[in-house]
This record gives sequence, structure tokens and C-alpha cells, in this order.
Amino acid sequence: MQVKSKLFLLLGLLMVVALAAAGCALPMETEEPAPEEAADAPEGGFVIGVSNTLVGNGWREQMICAIKAEATASGMVDEVIVVNRNGGPTEQIADLEGLISQGVDAIILNPTDREGLNAVIEAAIAQGIVVVAVDQAVTAEGAYVATNDQTAYARLGAEWLFETLGGSGKVVEMRGIDGVPADTDRHNGFMEALANYPDIEVVASTFTGWDPSTGAQQALDLITTQEIDGIWTSGIDYPVVEQFQVADKPFVPIVGADNNGFVAQLLDLADDGLVGAAVTNPPAIGAVGTSIAIDALLGNNPPHETILTPKVFATDNTDGLNAIYAPDEQVGWSTYVDIEPFTHYNGSADVSACKAPGE
Amino acid sequence: MNRDSRATVVFNRAGLILSRSGWTLGVWLLLLALLIWYANLIPRFGEFQITSISKNSLPLVYLALGQAIIVIAGGIDLSLGALLLLSNAIAARFMADQPFGAVLVIALLLIGLVAFLNGMTGYVIRLSGVPDIVVTLATSYIWSGLALWILPSPGGGTAPEFRWLFTGSESGIGGTYVLPVLMMIIPATVVFLLSRRTRLGLSMYAVGSDSNIASLAGLGVTRAKVASYALGGALAALAGLATVAITGTGDPRFSVGANATLNSVAAVVLGGIALTGGTGLVLGVVAAGMILIMLNPILSAMGINPNNAQILQGVLIAIVMMIGGLVTLIRERRT
Repeated sequence: MQVKSKLFLLLGLLMVVALAAAGCALPMETEEPAPEEAADAPEGGFVIGVSNTLVGNGWREQMICAIKAEATASGMVDEVIVVNRNGGPTEQIADLEGLISQGVDAIILNPTDREGLNAVIEAAIAQGIVVVAVDQAVTAEGAYVATNDQTAYARLGAEWLFETLGGSGKVVEMRGIDGVPADTDRHNGFMEALANYPDIEVVASTFTGWDPSTGAQQALDLITTQEIDGIWTSGIDYPVVEQFQVADKPFVPIVGADNNGFVAQLLDLADDGLVGAAVTNPPAIGAVGTSIAIDALLGNNPPHETILTPKVFATDNTDGLNAIYAPDEQVGWSTYVDIEPFTHYNGSADVSACKAPGE
Repeated sequence: MNRDSRATVVFNRAGLILSRSGWTLGVWLLLLALLIWYANLIPRFGEFQITSISKNSLPLVYLALGQAIIVIAGGIDLSLGALLLLSNAIAARFMADQPFGAVLVIALLLIGLVAFLNGMTGYVIRLSGVPDIVVTLATSYIWSGLALWILPSPGGGTAPEFRWLFTGSESGIGGTYVLPVLMMIIPATVVFLLSRRTRLGLSMYAVGSDSNIASLAGLGVTRAKVASYALGGALAALAGLATVAITGTGDPRFSVGANATLNSVAAVVLGGIALTGGTGLVLGVVAAGMILIMLNPILSAMGINPNNAQILQGVLIAIVMMIGGLVTLIRERRT
């Protein structure tokens, strides 16, 4: 028994020593007189931290690449530190604390929670770090927020669809994931538009899970069993168009996102009677956030809230569609990457290269 | 006994401690080395960083302690992460806008409830003879489904004092490191003493080593099994409570629980507890949990591409597991 108690004491002591040694033996906070706060009007050389908690998602990866591309194009950034792993608020809080510890000048995050991160964000701001939440909002005081207007995304697309159908017909609403804020916002926008068109009938509403194969299967079931005049999708668009070809059915007007595959179909299949509209939901919102962060670091006091209103590129706007089409990219690539006046890189090619400064 | 032989006894005992707990000691030294390395990687290292590491480690350390006890008693629990999820969801749902007193009562009830639920799981495993992995995989879906039912989407909250208790600050960030360190040392000490100093704890080791022999020796195998699962459940509840204290919200997403389960098993292995059961000290698991939490900020501070960081993390764990297996093999050959 004595042996064990000694061993326990030893381990207890070791833990205390470990923490104490780490705390004392090394450069402490007092050594650095926080130069970035003393000097007003810094001129570049910034370090930007990025926190993302959904790995392997095309949209999110493009968002990170847009951040890197904009950081490079700005010429103001020395380094981009990306912390990218799957997780919830617990993991993101740890990641944000890690970025604060690394002494970054700005943090760009795609938040997992509206309120849960506020304390750590406010702690970062208190240390003079500029914090920009992109894609989804946070309520932290002093944080910058840059989002795509999801309600308008659905409303503008639905309005285009209902107008194209002449105000009457049977439509399908293909949603994303039930309960996700973006899906709820989009559904609200869809309903807003629907309220103004009493002769439009929603004959089916599905949840695609934003999964191409799920959406394709649902679309095939719908178009082979029901009479449909138009389809609104929450971004699962090109697989749905393909199902019309598979089932050998005439196209109906369809609304999708600015996915490269869909944009290509709108251009190529226009002669075969495809009518549709691509509504933008740019992951380049990350680049917008980067631009805002740099502006704030330079002391230009940008507005704290930036909401991008989506753009609608319909089949009658061939020039517009040609301008955003990126022939070298994958079908899932979001083609709308140049967002005035925020981005400075050179189109999809720069974003796709995904190079941070010094890489 | 003359002086010489006493010295020999002391020397032999020291040797015994070292050889028996060498792995535990090694893990703590590794943690120390990582802390010093990390401190040199980043521009500033002080109370903020120590608090950050210790409080962020709490959920995994609790969960790993629970997994350790269950593994020592010869089982393995794939539902611990789901139990974390469940207690996180219940806590966030019912603690929101409650005074500290009520929150504490909820916390204690929750620990009791989850301990009871998982104790029942242990009882079912023992009674049915179905392997631990199968039963706990099934219960993990039940618990995570229940968590989603109780808290359909992220939300809820807890009392600021409760957040202070685990994180050292009422906002959950930037507080004193004394509280998170205490909240780590106290449960770890209790579990350690329970496992090594009580009849029940030692019977868990015996059952985990060979349940037939333990049964023949007159030990309560069912009692040990149920107790290990109940204790594991209580610690999973504590992990859920720490999560609500750190984030201030509940998050019922399935992936969070699945990740936590895998990390708890990794921490148990890294902490020097053989998955075959019956051996190992739970103290090593505490350091192992902290090491796993520290890997992410360290890899990021080293400027390692985030896409490679996950691979590297997996490779590190695999290497550690292989070293562990090698050490056991050498030891077995020697005896």
C-alpha cells in the first residue's frame, strides 16, 4: 500500500511540475509589450487564422481556398493558418483558443454555433484580434459577420420559377437537410415567394440531404410518377437535370445553385429546351471575410455586417452564364467567385490553385 | 534487518514500481515534453494556454477514465460517446436559465441516472453473454437517438457558476487554471483509489484478467462488471456536464459522440491499459487524454497542412499502440 501511495504522490507531483514548468520556464506574457496595439496603422504582414469544422465538404474546401487566394492577392498577409477538422462547438472553442495562442492578427471562422462561441470570440477581440464569422452568423459583440442571404437565395429563385411558369403550375420543392438553419431560412424564402403566386401548387417537397445521389433518386421518382411543371432545388441541381435525360422526359424549368455542372447544362442544353436559373451561394464568402478582416486590420472600419444578396443567372442570360462558367473545374465547383468590391484574385483559376502566401 | 538489505528492498521496490508503472510514467513525461515543445512553438505561453488545455481536456479525460475502468474489468463500451451526448443534451435542455443550486441538483441526478443506465447495460451484457461491443454499439444508437429527441437542434444553456466550476471562468474562457486542474485531479484520484485500494476495484482487475478464475475464487463477477459499467456511465455523464460548461450549449449531433468514443479508446490504449483487460493504471489515461487534445494545436502551430494533420494523428496513435504491444510482448517473454 505504501508503494502505491508513493507512486501516486509521484505522479501527482509530476503533473503539478509539468504544468508549473510549462507555465514558468518559458517566455511569459509580460515579456512582450503587445506591439500591435501600440503601433497604429499597421501596413500588412498579417497572420490570418481560419477555423472550419466540416472536413471533406466541397463547398467548405472552396471557402478555405478562397480565403487563401484572397490573402495572397491582397499582398497584405504573410501567413494563413488553417485549423480544419470535424467537430462541434467543443472542438471549435479549442481550435479558436489555439489560434489566439499562436498570436494571429485575424481569425476567420465558419461558426458551428450562433451563441456558443461568443465568449472565446470576445476574448480574441479583447486581445486586439479581428474576428470575422463567414457563411453563418455569430452574435458576439465586436465580431464582423459576412453571410450569404439564404432567405433571398430561395425567394429570388422561386420568384424566377413562378414567373417563368406564368404564375400557375405544379412545382416541386427539393430542400436540403431538415433542421439546418440554412434550410429553414431557404424554406421561409420559398414560402414568401409562394404567398404571392396563389395559382402555384407545391405537389411535393423532399429533403435531399444536399446529397447528389439522394436528390437524383428523388427526382427520378417524381418525374416518372407525377405531372410536374417546375422544380426548385436547394442546390442539388445538375443530378436532377440528368434524370430528365435518363427518363427521356422533356425538361421543365428548374432552379439550382451556381454549380459548375448546372451552369454547363444551362449553356449546353438550352438548344434541347432546358430552361433554368442558377442562383449564387458563393463559398467565396470566405474571401469576402478575408477582405473585411484586412480592411479592419488596416484601420478602415468596415461595416460589421455584410449580407450578400444572391444573383440569378437564367438561361436567357447567356453572356452572364458564360462569364461564370469554369470549364477547367469539377461539376460541384461554385462558379461565382469574383465578388465586387471584395475579391482581388483572378477568377476560378486562382481559387482552385488554393495557394496561401508563401505556399 | 540490516541497513544493506533494507537498501536492497527499497531498491527492488523502486525497480518494481518503475517496471510496473513505467508506461504511466512515460506517458506523463511525454505530456511534459509536449507542453514544453508547444510552449516554445507559440509566441506566448501563460495562464490562458494552461487553462485552455486543461479545461478542453476535461471531457476526453473523464470519458477515457470511464473507458479505462470498463476495459480493466474486461469490457469495452462503444456507447460512452453517446452517453456524453445524452447527458450534454439533457443538461443543456434542463439547466437553461436555472439558478446554480438547481443546476447542481440536475447535475447530480444526471450522473446517477446515466450511471444507472450504463450499469443496466453491464448487467445485460453479463446476463446475456452477448459481446460487449455488440450490446454497447446497440445502446449507443439508443442514447444518441434519445439525445436528439431531448434536444432536437443545438441550444440550451447552463448557469454561469456551473461553467466557472469546470472552466475557471463564468464565460467559459480565460479563467484560472486552478479549477479545471482540480476538476481533473479529483475525479482521477477517486477513480484511481477506487480501482487500486478497494475490494471492488481489485475485483474488477481480477475479473478483467480472467472472469472464470475470478468466479471460482469467489469474487462477484456480475457485481464487478455492473460496477465498472456504472462508473463508466457516471464519468461519461461528467464528460457531458463538462461539455455544457465549456460551450454553454448542448450539441446533440451524432458525430460528436462517435468521435468522443473513438478518442476515449485511443486514450485508454495510449494510457497503457491493455484492451485485453486486467492490467494498467488509470492515471496514465489522464495524461493520454491531454496529449490527444494537445496534438491539434501543436500540429497547427507547426504549420502542418490540416489535411495531413489527421493522418499524422492516426499514425502517431498507431505507433503508440504498436510500441505498447511490443512492450507487452517483451515482458511476457521475460516471465
